[in-house]
Amino acid sequence: MVNLSLNYSLVKKFIVHFIREEVRSNKFEKVVIGLSGGLDSALVAFLSVEALGNENVINILLPYKLSAPESLEHAMLIKDILKTPYEIIDISDIADEYIERTPDMDRIRVGNLLSRIRMSILFDKARANDALVMGTSNKSEIMLGYTTWYGDMASGLYPIGDLYKTQIFELSKFMELPEPIISKAPSADLWPGQTDEGELGDTYISLDSILSLYIDERKTPEEIIKMGFDETLVQNVIRRVITTQFKRTLPPVAKFSMRTLGMDFLYPHDLNK
Amino acid sequence: MQFKTALAQINPVLGEVKKNREIHLKFIEDAIKEKAELIVFPELSITGYYLRDLAMEVALPSFSNFFEPIFRKSKEIDIVLGFVEKGRDSNIYNSAMYISDGSPKMVYRKIYLPTHGMFEEQRFMARGDRVEAFDTKFGKVALLICRDLFHPSLVLLTFAAGADIVIVPSNMPIRGLDGEKSAIERTVENAVAIYTNFFGNFVIYVNRVGFDDGLGFFGGSFIGTPTGNKLGYAGTFEECLTSSIIDTEEIFKKRQLFPLAREEDLNIVANNFKRIMEEKNG
Repeated sequence: MVNLSLNYSLVKKFIVHFIREEVRSNKFEKVVIGLSGGLDSALVAFLSVEALGNENVINILLPYKLSAPESLEHAMLIKDILKTPYEIIDISDIADEYIERTPDMDRIRVGNLLSRIRMSILFDKARANDALVMGTSNKSEIMLGYTTWYGDMASGLYPIGDLYKTQIFELSKFMELPEPIISKAPSADLWPGQTDEGELGDTYISLDSILSLYIDERKTPEEIIKMGFDETLVQNVIRRVITTQFKRTLPPVAKFSMRTLGMDFLYPHDLNK
Repeated sequence: MQFKTALAQINPVLGEVKKNREIHLKFIEDAIKEKAELIVFPELSITGYYLRDLAMEVALPSFSNFFEPIFRKSKEIDIVLGFVEKGRDSNIYNSAMYISDGSPKMVYRKIYLPTHGMFEEQRFMARGDRVEAFDTKFGKVALLICRDLFHPSLVLLTFAAGADIVIVPSNMPIRGLDGEKSAIERTVENAVAIYTNFFGNFVIYVNRVGFDDGLGFFGGSFIGTPTGNKLGYAGTFEECLTSSIIDTEEIFKKRQLFPLAREEDLNIVANNFKRIMEEKNG
């Protein structure tokens, strides 16, 4: 395995400053978080409250009828601890209206639909509250592309986007998040029994080790396999990274002018600070 | 001589030169109140860092009227600030200027513009090509900017030019959060400790705080002394002004106790360097 340990006191301080400054430089005081009951959104909620104060963090709970019951319980627990404004919107009716008329949908399509319905509601709530949508994606899922494009990936900021899931666990322990949320199996909870590690084929510690060696240390697949990692796993991880690159870039533009989005019209994001 | 130096660890607003001028004037006022005789701002303190296409839009000549309010204040305190310089040659530069007694005394153009990974400075700006030391009321001063400090060759040139004090306005983004301090901060502290020990000089390092597009600048400004002390450490992440006394007599003492400067033979360096380069260039 690879040493992914960080100075979590420093990491926390850095991310809290990041949230405070970037939210304000985007001209917002408030943020909206889709609180799923899982660890990533819980951690983002904790960090956001530290940065902005509890009154400025609006937690939106968006259960579906097949969501694990503990997901809603855990989300309620987080909003109770943090004393933030919140709203529960059950998306079952909205989703089923389409799902029932589309009999050939497999669970991946249903999962993507749920993710994008949640995204639509979060952006509407953001508009209604003059707030910014906080991203809750971590580096592991972003790099593996284990995420719905324009669904859970859609957001105004990625405060934990440079932390691998292994590091998310450690930062959550450091910040004393509730134990049951830290210790349960990570899951997108898009269908009953789904778990990240079941779908991705190994534990996060293995996946993150391979990602870190490949991405941060620029080791070749051969070098990683030589270090003792399973060949099939290494190839799968790297294939996932490469085939999902489209999710991490702007769509290509048919460029013909002198200044084009993404190529030579290069203003910073924080232009209007 | 002894004089008080203020490190202005500010958080400039990206692309908003007028707002940033106000920040400068406020910090200058505070430094004057603290009886500082020199105040140093970070790299690109007038403009912010991650400018990209904005760089040409915020560029100013060093003699621009825009700087008048700051020039006037320099009758009370010497000032070092960073800006995007609109050169007479129609290039733009990542520059710093030393302002004293009502006008700029020296404009330094950053030589090594990092252009790799998250850095793209040379995509937007031209590089400088001149290191020099100039006389100030505090002794001979040389300016370097940020990445320049990681090139020992440039620090050697400041020594060769006779600089007692090397001023290094910086915009270093944080990375490497696995240790007690970030990896980049440790790198700076180690580099300055080595330079000040071996060259027997002062290094004034001023880094900004705040975020441009998620690039987080850690601050950590300080003055490295010839005897290995760190003065005025400004801490991380927060805007602040720290003042401390620089005693240039320390240079004399250090260079007598550990006479590396007396041993140094720049002719040997120059002759060997010339020969090596001739051999290299065939």
